[in-house]
Amino acid sequence: MECNGCEFRPELYYDDEYQIWVRREDDDTLTVGMTDISQTIAGKILHVRVRRPGTRRPPGKPVATIESGKWAGPIPNFIDCVIVEGNPDVLENPVLLNSDPYNAWIARVEASAGAEAALDTFLTGDEAYKGYCARAKNEEIECHRKIR
Amino acid sequence: MSEDHYLDNEEKTVVFIMTSGPSTPQRCATPFYLGSIMASMDVDVHIFFTMEGVRLMEKGVAENLTAMEGGKKIIDFIRDAKRAGVKLHVCQPALPGYKIDDSKDIIDEVDHVARASALADLILQSHNVITF
Repeated sequence: MECNGCEFRPELYYDDEYQIWVRREDDDTLTVGMTDISQTIAGKILHVRVRRPGTRRPPGKPVATIESGKWAGPIPNFIDCVIVEGNPDVLENPVLLNSDPYNAWIARVEASAGAEAALDTFLTGDEAYKGYCARAKNEEIECHRKIR
Repeated sequence: MSEDHYLDNEEKTVVFIMTSGPSTPQRCATPFYLGSIMASMDVDVHIFFTMEGVRLMEKGVAENLTAMEGGKKIIDFIRDAKRAGVKLHVCQPALPGYKIDDSKDIIDEVDHVARASALADLILQSHNVITF
């Protein structure tokens, strides 16, 4: 699915500003990545750093930092969690976040209170699509996933 | 994989003293960019604007200023830094010289209009002091 050229995947979970996506894995860990909207705003991503595996991250403490030519800042975190791993492909080749934002995950985490409870605060499906589309249109964000 | 890809720095406090302003626009983006990175690394980042730096916190200035021709507006760098958790302080004694009234001329992103002694406290409490 798309809106303003911004790819959207209804099976994923999103924060209410559509900055990150979260996917629940079979082993109950959560995989975190950047949305198409986020990678578009950031521009070509030059560097990604993830908190060391084993580190506990309360809500509000970022899972990772991103640097692009025009933007620097956190990958926001809304979950009380422990970092399991960073994605080695993305850490070595950050521009994957621009070209393939929903496959190029950033980190896998374990939610302290379990995946079910952690995902309670996120949006998914039609409700998420509505909000995602509204943000893309209101802010006139047109996504481009080609490597720049 | 390089160790550089993983973050495990300790939490620290850093203060940037920003004296550059609109007369040197090329010096006006980096403090916010670096501040954003450091704040997202759990560093407690404070930017204290003094001398001509206070003009960046004046309404209408950062909205119309870029570090490079055609580049991103300084106000957007400021907002990125705020979102990352950077705190902004403006030097009260420097304002009259630039005819800035802190009751109506300061942008909403400013956290504190502060006296020089507040900067002194920040410097003494910080692990690092960086000047721009």
